[in-house]
Amino acid sequence: MSISQKEIQTLARLSRLEFSEEEQEKFIPDFEEIIAFADRINGEVVGDTSSIKEVAARTIAWEDLREDEVTDSLPNEKITSNVEAQDGYFPVRRVVK
Amino acid sequence: MKSTILHLSKMLQSGEITSVQLTEQYISAIEKENPAINAYVNYTFDQARANAIEADKLIKEGRATALTGIPFTLKDNIATDGMLTTCCSKILQGFKPYYDATVWSKLKAQGAVLLGKTNMDEFAMGSTSETSVYGAPLNPIDKTRVTGGSSGGVAAAVCANLAAYGLGSDTGGSIRQPASFCGIVGFKPSYGAVSRYGLIAYGSSLDQIGPMTRSVTDAAIIFDAIKGEDKKDGTSVATPSGETKLIGDVKGLKIGVVEELTDGVNPEILQAVNGVIEAYQKAGAQVVKLSVPALKLALPVYYIIACAEASSNLGRYDGIRYGYRASNYSGLDDMVTKTRSEGFGKEVKKRIMLGTYVLSSGYFDAYYKKACVLRGEVEKQIKECFEKCDFIFAPTVPQTAFPLGYSGGNATETYLSDVCTVPVNIAGLPAISIPCGKDKNGLPIGLQIIGRKYDDERVLNAAYFAEKYGVCEDIQFDGGVKL
Repeated sequence: MSISQKEIQTLARLSRLEFSEEEQEKFIPDFEEIIAFADRINGEVVGDTSSIKEVAARTIAWEDLREDEVTDSLPNEKITSNVEAQDGYFPVRRVVK
Repeated sequence: MKSTILHLSKMLQSGEITSVQLTEQYISAIEKENPAINAYVNYTFDQARANAIEADKLIKEGRATALTGIPFTLKDNIATDGMLTTCCSKILQGFKPYYDATVWSKLKAQGAVLLGKTNMDEFAMGSTSETSVYGAPLNPIDKTRVTGGSSGGVAAAVCANLAAYGLGSDTGGSIRQPASFCGIVGFKPSYGAVSRYGLIAYGSSLDQIGPMTRSVTDAAIIFDAIKGEDKKDGTSVATPSGETKLIGDVKGLKIGVVEELTDGVNPEILQAVNGVIEAYQKAGAQVVKLSVPALKLALPVYYIIACAEASSNLGRYDGIRYGYRASNYSGLDDMVTKTRSEGFGKEVKKRIMLGTYVLSSGYFDAYYKKACVLRGEVEKQIKECFEKCDFIFAPTVPQTAFPLGYSGGNATETYLSDVCTVPVNIAGLPAISIPCGKDKNGLPIGLQIIGRKYDDERVLNAAYFAEKYGVCEDIQFDGGVKL
């Protein structure tokens, strides 16, 4: 299975990652190897899988869900304690002019 | 002093030593020895000293349990309120959670003493702990070798007696494999038996917290302390409450030996495992030879599912609310992309990319969906296998501890070492690794005992037989009488 540079770039964009040209060159053979590893399952499941709806192997049954109880949420000052918060907000650089 | 929880507990409760004194002994040992093995990545000595004072009060008031006052460690992916929790990743540098993981709350309530957070593969992705941003921990038995992973720091700390026990997490073998490499006991409970609240997620349908200890008795003590349903984890389940009763009678038990888990295993390891099985047979257990063909596909199925879940779980690291943030960027999207690209290591990026690939349009049916179908098949065949036996005995790892840097050459080479451990996570089963001998280089070998789902107590009992009767002489036996 060969992976083109363009495919890597698309996946990187979807993953919110970026790789330099040099990194990409190193990454492609590694990635091809891991895809080949994953590919071992192909050929084992015969036929069309489109009829399979339940793909979540671990689902929680509806009746297992707890009651929706209102409880105190964590205080703002705790939640923002990992950044230099401004008026209780997470600061980012201005995005709207 | 290399002591089990049980032994230390007796000393504490008889007044032979106080928790404050014991804690200071561990702290001095860590300060002296940790630099040489890199097991701890962050010390929490102030917390430990405060915990020890509380513990001594509990003991004085007669309210102590078996783990009150005993110093321990947590893997660096278990949240501790106000104390660094970084998953050994640059992207979580400086991160102090604002809540406690349920397991830590439960232990703290019983007077446990937290010495620090221990080393691991970045985001638990690895089998050697070498992808840690803090550098690899070294195996205390042979410092030129890895501890295994991803809970390598816990294994090294317990092995070197820099903690009486620790909690690790196991997504595809990350408790059992390092326990095997470092010659300690590692127990992965059934999926849902222990709350995952506060465990930083890797593969949510596979992750499970469990104890890493010096004896099976200790593993049972800690399992009892952390198990149970938790409102904050919808996948947690109520397990039989009360204390696990360790008897260690194996008469009439059926031990399954599965072809797919022994093929290609190093002969020295097989010999050690078979030696233990023979001892069980002599005590009245029967051996059944079985085949579970679907296990041949367990590894790729595991990597597809784990990476798919990881790519989603790790989407939250954007540099906005905590952890690392890139300093040079042009807009909000660029900030997120640069933060992630600079903050995640190579292996983590690779797994996010693989997860994105198998979930992306055009590949979802060919990979993710098929992996889920095969996961069901693996579960079904294992279930059928348990109609013919009570436990499966297998090596924990087909090898002993690798030399450092061994994984450098081939991207998927180390994935293969997980062949005996991943089926357990795929099917959500309980399994324990116990030390069962050494290879010609003196490196520990691990035996894995796998049970039916929610048969946690029975798995502990099956392993306890080896402890009680000295079948595995590397497990410490302290009389086996619980306080």
